[in-house]
Amino acid sequence: MNLLRFFAQNHTQVLELTGEHLWLVGWSTVFAMLIGVPLGILIAHRTQLGRPVLAGANIIQTIPSLALFGFLLPVPWLGSRAERLAILALTLYALLPIIRNTYDGIRGVDAAVVEAGRGMGLTESQLLFQVELPLALSVIISGIRIAVVISVGLATIAAAIGAGGLGEFIFRGLSMVDNRVILAGAIPAAILALLADFGIGRIEKRLRPR
Amino acid sequence: MIPVRTSVVLLMVCSVALLSCSSSHSDRIVVGSKNFTESFILGELIAQQIEAHTNLKVERRFYLAGTYICQQAMLAGRIDIYPEYTGTALTAILQQGISRDKREVYERVKDEYERQFGLTLASAFGFNDTFAMEIRGEDARRLNLRTLSQAAQFTPQWRAGFGYEFMERPDGYRGLVATYGLHFAEQPRIMDLGLLARALKDRQIDFAGGNTTDGLIPALDLVALEDDRHYFPPYEAVPVIREQTLQLHPEIARWLADLAGKISDEEMQKMNYAVDGQHRDTQDVVREFLKSKALVP
Amino acid sequence: MIEFRDVSYGVNGIQVLSGLNLRVAHGEILVLLGRSGSGKTTTLKLVNRLVTPTSGRVLVNGKVNDQVDVIQLRRGMGYVIQEAGLFPHFTVERNIGLVPKIEGWPQERIHARVQEMLQLVGLNSDMASRYPHQLSGGQRQRVGVARALAADPAILLMDEPFGALDPLTRDELQREFLLLQQRVHKTVVFVTHDLREALRLGSRVALMEAGKLVTVLTPAEFLKSSDPWASAYVRAFGDGLESAANRGTS
Repeated sequence: MNLLRFFAQNHTQVLELTGEHLWLVGWSTVFAMLIGVPLGILIAHRTQLGRPVLAGANIIQTIPSLALFGFLLPVPWLGSRAERLAILALTLYALLPIIRNTYDGIRGVDAAVVEAGRGMGLTESQLLFQVELPLALSVIISGIRIAVVISVGLATIAAAIGAGGLGEFIFRGLSMVDNRVILAGAIPAAILALLADFGIGRIEKRLRPR
Repeated sequence: MIPVRTSVVLLMVCSVALLSCSSSHSDRIVVGSKNFTESFILGELIAQQIEAHTNLKVERRFYLAGTYICQQAMLAGRIDIYPEYTGTALTAILQQGISRDKREVYERVKDEYERQFGLTLASAFGFNDTFAMEIRGEDARRLNLRTLSQAAQFTPQWRAGFGYEFMERPDGYRGLVATYGLHFAEQPRIMDLGLLARALKDRQIDFAGGNTTDGLIPALDLVALEDDRHYFPPYEAVPVIREQTLQLHPEIARWLADLAGKISDEEMQKMNYAVDGQHRDTQDVVREFLKSKALVP
Repeated sequence: MIEFRDVSYGVNGIQVLSGLNLRVAHGEILVLLGRSGSGKTTTLKLVNRLVTPTSGRVLVNGKVNDQVDVIQLRRGMGYVIQEAGLFPHFTVERNIGLVPKIEGWPQERIHARVQEMLQLVGLNSDMASRYPHQLSGGQRQRVGVARALAADPAILLMDEPFGALDPLTRDELQREFLLLQQRVHKTVVFVTHDLREALRLGSRVALMEAGKLVTVLTPAEFLKSSDPWASAYVRAFGDGLESAANRGTS
């Protein structure tokens, strides 16, 4: 088929763009986890902070992605390199699912279990790491899964501001009015999203407490 | 159930794997171009020249949607060379004032690029692709118009069309209107560069922001109005190249130098028309040109 | 051993406990009896400082319990709740061995102790590798007791531990608990709303109503008491209480 031949002829570029795509998704997910999980734990334990934090993350989500890229372009250090900007934007979009799910996961741990642990003399940190986090892990990872799938999709827009990635094929194909090129970007992106969803979903299932 | 520690380690390994996916291509040259015909002709020219004379594998990453995106790709090392215009580099990237002197613009861009970005310029291809304000041949003859100053009085009756970048750039629409006192009845239509000439021909617009090397100028009987107030700065086409790439592959410098001054305004128009108007394959057109100039065996 | 001096506790404008004065002697099983809202669970939680009094003082072993490190305080007490509160992601072994582990006991000592505890509560040693969801309610509760006793605390706090079990299992566990206590001699504070259980297990029964301590009596005294609340309870529970009061193990 025409499309397969295209992939064969251009496999280096497909791989290269896929690599760039993963790089953007990878860094932004790592940052979002580093910020989002501790934040989620914090608001799970201090519920008054919960509403403003979740509201803030929610507002960020509602900003259309291309618009956010546009806002950030003029910013001095960020805007001078498209990848920095893209990673920042992708991190922001990944925050809500991660914070939300960490919050839900920890709040969802059986309160009796936590109280039993506290009554037994576990310190707050022991409670967190030995009881709450392991029991909440499945839900937290579900949040990470959602964040990754969102990021894979959003990262295609990053090409519009010059950050590379599979979106470059899509935009190029649109310019060239060549469907094969569009698909050369769209299909790998879709596959990445599906793989992430499936793979992380498996881990999630294994971790679910019985 | 997987204990916490194992799953955390798993997650970290995946993250590290993802993070180390940045591309490095020391064995290849990646040539970029913007997303209009002239840019890929020049990109293809550079690519074929390098392929013909060296053992380097050349990747083409064309259709990058604009100057900023090409610049970002160069800085990130995703492309090694691409064709740019001195005037564009000066105003859009370096954000500096417009100058009229061809030599001065070239030198200033070269120096600043080397100083700020680790990029350098090879010698110019030879033609000046600056903005040409086009009108239909019949209108030009009927109203006896040759220059922009003469055309200014008719602009209230005209609908204009420009490319997106032209509308946004400091050296674009705003300055043009101010310099010549143009007063279009409505907001200009923003269109894809490739569609402007046809839209002009089909009377969807009456005044198009095209370029001096538009292949369709002769083909569609269009007239480029003279820039009698010298508003538009020089836009010499040049290859921009990463200094790192030159260090890794110094032979490239020589083959790029071979291309210097080899393309005239008219030759560029012809190549543009061959691809745009006659729908010939870009690679064939470029190959033909290189042969005709005895640049390749 | 444990002493409440004029303890009151209020939260969100509700007075949960007022003016509590109570002493728990070394080695006794003191039952806190009352209905929901009587403040009995709160009283229990004041001992291991899951709750802090708004006024008054709680003393454990002669020291006011907010003057000592709360973690050490809690580790020195066994805490058993209804539905056991076992960690679902730990095996029985890890559940029981948790406090010894965080106290830094060497691995072999923990393992030996777990086996000892399993035997003590009448469970098979191969239970150690099972997970809570694989156990019956009665088995889970036994593990809960084993877990509470693992670090050999002097004090045991139990909050309606047998409340969620079927009558047969409950009877079994109560009987075994009495036998256990004869072996380990802990100071126990036991919360329940079941008079029969209170009379059977308690060396003394502290009756609470609406946040106040009504009276503290031995089981025998309780049955004959003319206190209005006590007699109301006796009436509500009907016949056969004497055998419970006599520690009937039948």
